[in-house]
Amino acid sequence: MEQNTHQSSSKTFICQLCDLTSPYSYYGQKPPNTRAIVLLEECFVTRDPFSPDKEKFLVLGSTCSLCNSCVCVGQDCSLFYTKRFCMRCVNKHLDQFPHQIQAELAKKKDRSKAGVS
Amino acid sequence: MESDRKRDRRSWDWSSPHCRTQLDDIFFRHHDYIQAGSAEHREFWTFFDRFQRFKTKKDMCSSEGGSRNAEDAKRKDKGKSSKMDIGLPVEYDARYRINLSVCTRDIEERLGKTGHRSRDKSSGPGDQEIADCRLTLLHFLDFWQKQSFSKLAKLRREQKNLPIYQYRDKIVELVRRHRVVVVAGDTGCGKSTQVPQYLLSAGFSYIACTEPRRIACISLAKRVSFESLNQYGSKVGYQIRFEGSRTTATKLLFLTEGLLLRQIQHDRTLAQYQVVIVDEVHERHLHCDFLLGVLRTLVSERPDLCLVLMSATINIKLFSNYFGGAPVLQVPGRLFPIQVIYQPIPPEEQPSRSEKLDPRPYLRILQGIDHRYPPEERGDLLLFLSGVAEISTIQEACQVYATHTRRWIVLPLHSTLSLAQQDKVFDISPPGVRKCIIATNIAETSVTIDGVRFVVDSGKVKEMSFDPKAKMQRLQEFWISRASSEQRKGRAGRTGPGICYRLYAESDYDAFAPYPVPEIHRVALDSLILQMKSMGLGDPLSFVFIDPPPASSIQTAVTYLKEQGALDNNGDLTSIGNLLSQLPVDVVIGKMLVLGSVFNLVEPVLTVAAALSVQSPFLRSSQQNPDCSTACQPLHSNQGDPFTLLNTFNAWVEVKGERGGGSRKWCRRRGLEEQRLYEMVNLRRQFRDLLRSHSLLEGERNAAPDGDRGQRRERLTERRKLHQLKRDHEHQEKSKRKVLKLEEGQDGDMSSGSDTEDTRRRKKDKEGSGQDVDIQEVKFKLRHNMSELQEAVTVSQDMSSRHQALLKLLLCRGLYPQLAIPDEHNTTRKDSDQVFHTKNKQGVVIHPTSVFASDPEVLHVPEHDARETGPDHKESTKHQLLAFVTLLETNKPYLSNCVRIPALQTLLLVANSVDSNADCTRLVVDGWLEVELKEPEEALKVLSTALTLRTEWERVLQVQLGQSAQAESAAPGVSRKALEKLIDGLVRFLLYTEVIYCLQRLTALQIQNLYIGPSSDLSRSKIPDVNPLFPGAKLKPHHIKGGLIVTSFFTYNCLADSRDLYSECLRTFWSCPNCDLYMPLTPLERMTHEASCRPAGEQQQLEEEEAGREKATSSSVSSLTRVFHCDVCNEDLTLTPTEILKHKRQHMYSVK
Ligand SMILES: [Zn+2]
Ligand SMILES: [Zn+2]
Repeated sequence: MEQNTHQSSSKTFICQLCDLTSPYSYYGQKPPNTRAIVLLEECFVTRDPFSPDKEKFLVLGSTCSLCNSCVCVGQDCSLFYTKRFCMRCVNKHLDQFPHQIQAELAKKKDRSKAGVS
Repeated sequence: MESDRKRDRRSWDWSSPHCRTQLDDIFFRHHDYIQAGSAEHREFWTFFDRFQRFKTKKDMCSSEGGSRNAEDAKRKDKGKSSKMDIGLPVEYDARYRINLSVCTRDIEERLGKTGHRSRDKSSGPGDQEIADCRLTLLHFLDFWQKQSFSKLAKLRREQKNLPIYQYRDKIVELVRRHRVVVVAGDTGCGKSTQVPQYLLSAGFSYIACTEPRRIACISLAKRVSFESLNQYGSKVGYQIRFEGSRTTATKLLFLTEGLLLRQIQHDRTLAQYQVVIVDEVHERHLHCDFLLGVLRTLVSERPDLCLVLMSATINIKLFSNYFGGAPVLQVPGRLFPIQVIYQPIPPEEQPSRSEKLDPRPYLRILQGIDHRYPPEERGDLLLFLSGVAEISTIQEACQVYATHTRRWIVLPLHSTLSLAQQDKVFDISPPGVRKCIIATNIAETSVTIDGVRFVVDSGKVKEMSFDPKAKMQRLQEFWISRASSEQRKGRAGRTGPGICYRLYAESDYDAFAPYPVPEIHRVALDSLILQMKSMGLGDPLSFVFIDPPPASSIQTAVTYLKEQGALDNNGDLTSIGNLLSQLPVDVVIGKMLVLGSVFNLVEPVLTVAAALSVQSPFLRSSQQNPDCSTACQPLHSNQGDPFTLLNTFNAWVEVKGERGGGSRKWCRRRGLEEQRLYEMVNLRRQFRDLLRSHSLLEGERNAAPDGDRGQRRERLTERRKLHQLKRDHEHQEKSKRKVLKLEEGQDGDMSSGSDTEDTRRRKKDKEGSGQDVDIQEVKFKLRHNMSELQEAVTVSQDMSSRHQALLKLLLCRGLYPQLAIPDEHNTTRKDSDQVFHTKNKQGVVIHPTSVFASDPEVLHVPEHDARETGPDHKESTKHQLLAFVTLLETNKPYLSNCVRIPALQTLLLVANSVDSNADCTRLVVDGWLEVELKEPEEALKVLSTALTLRTEWERVLQVQLGQSAQAESAAPGVSRKALEKLIDGLVRFLLYTEVIYCLQRLTALQIQNLYIGPSSDLSRSKIPDVNPLFPGAKLKPHHIKGGLIVTSFFTYNCLADSRDLYSECLRTFWSCPNCDLYMPLTPLERMTHEASCRPAGEQQQLEEEEAGREKATSSSVSSLTRVFHCDVCNEDLTLTPTEILKHKRQHMYSVK
């Protein structure tokens, strides 16, 4: 049985924190057809599946600037503040983040706790 | 300079379109990521306004945040001192959180340079405005990314949460290792959406997944393409009867079981697929059972084909064993706990056979719920009943209760409701009010309604069965099976814990059959057998079905197909049978289509065939509404229901041509379900394509050049626009469900056109008139060429009485032997008590929806025309029969879709068996109808004409069908003239035969003593040794009936009152109108002569035609002349049948 023979976009992105899995078509800072837009980090990019326009892109994730782990852009897995930080690293260096971000994260923690109980 | 700039600043107005356009020129140019004029562009400016408001608000709040900055600085220091510095900027800025940037420096510079030169330009955006816009764009892009990503994350989360997810690798592995795999899982486990995806992402491609229902194909394809992130691609597609989204890129295709079977007919090994998934095998539909049988053979023939069966956890072993112990993977479903309460109906509330249902047990449950559960606790009720009549009884009672308590909205749900009415069950009830959905078993599997907390199960179902003896379908009420019972119960636990009330005892439940009776055991197998024959599957009796149908039921089907001429006596496909097997319709309707194309009566026949293959467009509930029925009056034809349908379709097309979408209103006013008309127009087109592909129709009529180039361009633009509309509609996220009004359903089932109108108007108001796209209308316009359709309709609208008669005859030949005779006492009965009889079933009535139910007098023999000759025997020239499409027994046996036909004429032209006495004054047709003719002379004439016409009809049919079988071969067909002449003859015969006769059914006693039987006293020498009607075939005595077989359908002189074949008293002088023959002839001799003697001119033409055909078929002997060995002269003579007759007569006189 022939498998994976003509799958061009078979490169798969997997978030090391939440396991989110999705094929990606581009890795880098300048996805095709983005014109004036430039990414400020190297990203795993796919075409936006929720837009009818073929040229729209979607960033799936990138690597943590501190620990190099591959993480998705979901709020629970990573945070971008001039650079990408995985949530583990954010928590490790929380005191260096501006209070706005600290407050936000604390609020989110509370909310998720409330949701569990 | 400085002051100038300030003034300009003040003149900058963000809300001015002019100002915005200037920014568009920087950020949203033609080649940019977002282009001015696009949907995203509009969204951006909306976002812009929101973002500015947000910023202003935030600025005001944080104006006293000075101390915070100091704090941040402190934090910075602290961080430095503690551990490694991760290098974050000191001051917080929200834009640091965005991982992209927008570079427009090039354009700005260009603008900036020119900006100082002219005042005009300097009034453009300044640096600040550009910066503002850029910042907003950044936030917009970020917002967009977050939005799409969270959709993706949510999707993945939901997929992970499905019970089947943890079996993902296991399933893929099983399919890799085994040829056949059974995946069994209950509702909600996600097998239908996930298994195809697992296989797809594991690298399998060319996957077919069959579904029993068309609607499931569409919705699954939509869902799976969304889930596999291919919403806007065509990797995942569907294909159903009329439409599909399949392209060459399609790797996963959802299709119906029937369609896959059709594909096998053309692509025997299904080489186009690598994997076939058969979903819902436990439902045991006819097609599915058959498909499994075919796939079972295919698996051994194609070692590279994988087969996956998906089933509910019902009877899994059966499927596994059928495929030699295929591995089974069982997946638990996801159901919340459901409490079962048995509440058997007390004896005094049990309905007796003829009575309506007693609503009290049902009302008690509603009351109980109101009593026990506070209205704030949401949860709707789903009530299962057996049929439409039961639903309206209970609905009525519940509605009274609902109106009183104002806590319920009562909604019916069954397949004969309009789609708009069916759709209401998905709407949401207002707070504190519950939906009470009263449904047939349609809600068991086909329709899934969320939010149901209570299920009430009557335990009954109405199922169609076929009675081979009476050749009748029967809709009967049965207890359901335990499997259905569990399925119904499960509907209460889809969204939360639920309760199921069973209106029967637990002991009843235990006594239920474990599974429903599979369809293959309940229905007529005609189409199935026909399809099996065409697929070359050999003897149907030896085919290995998963659960073989009774042999008798296969036998019945084979006999029926032989009667219909689809199979020959050896049980092999005839040429017409081969055609019929390709048409996805009933055999009778297929026959009409073939006949219609042979006779150049395609347009109306296409319409009628399509109309008879879909549900009636006349909504039953609306036909009781006087306004609707008045509006429908002009559409009615007292020739019969197919003619009414034809009129309706034609009128609809005309309205569509004039008013386009206005047809919706037109339909509403007449109580017509427009959806059915759309189905008809699609089916019609499919039929046309099929006929064309079998060379029964000439190719595409070269459409007249579509006007000039301007008009063509206009059409093209319109099509493009329509395509866009269709795409928009398809990609629209499921529109938010509407909230029902408490008054909903208060008019109950009596809801008429006007009610529907209200609902539609309400919907329209909500959607906003501009967006109210009638998607059906759009699809219609895309699929059909209006002018071509109009032309087709005009053809059938201007039908002369001649064409109408021909159409009737063709319908009748298609429908034969589905004929009914009016009871002899009908004239003295009330309209509602008219009774009819078929050969196999006595005492049937006309369905109230038929035109003859309201107008039965047209079926009576006119009084002034009739002569009473005996107690039950009426002499008349105007006896009529009914040809019908269906005989279905519900509470009574009903005939539906009837056409009235002149009795004697039609019988002689279509019947399979006509027997006569010696002078042909007494005829028995198909062994149940007796015709007594007054005048022997007339009798002979009419019979003889019919024989001649039929011979020619058969000949024409064979030539045309043979021709289509050889497709492009250049064999000359039937000449136009010959065809016209045949049509003329048939119509003339049908319309203008004026013979006085009696028509009655034979009694059982008469049937017993019908034939003289083979007799020995008719000495062999007296039997003419040739059959002049069919030269080459011998006139043989019938070995059961006695008498002589003249043609395949006519046996002469076999009736019990028959006399000696050549007794001289039967001989009368007769002169042939065509030749100069004048001599005493017996009836048989005379018919023989007439069959072969043509007027001089015509004879010549016929011979020319023959000669032409000879050349083509290179046959050496003309079919008219034959070698005849005369025993008297002892010589071989080449003569025509008439000449043979003359020759023999010559000897007869001379010898005597
Ligand atoms: Zn993640
Ligand atoms: Zn990290």
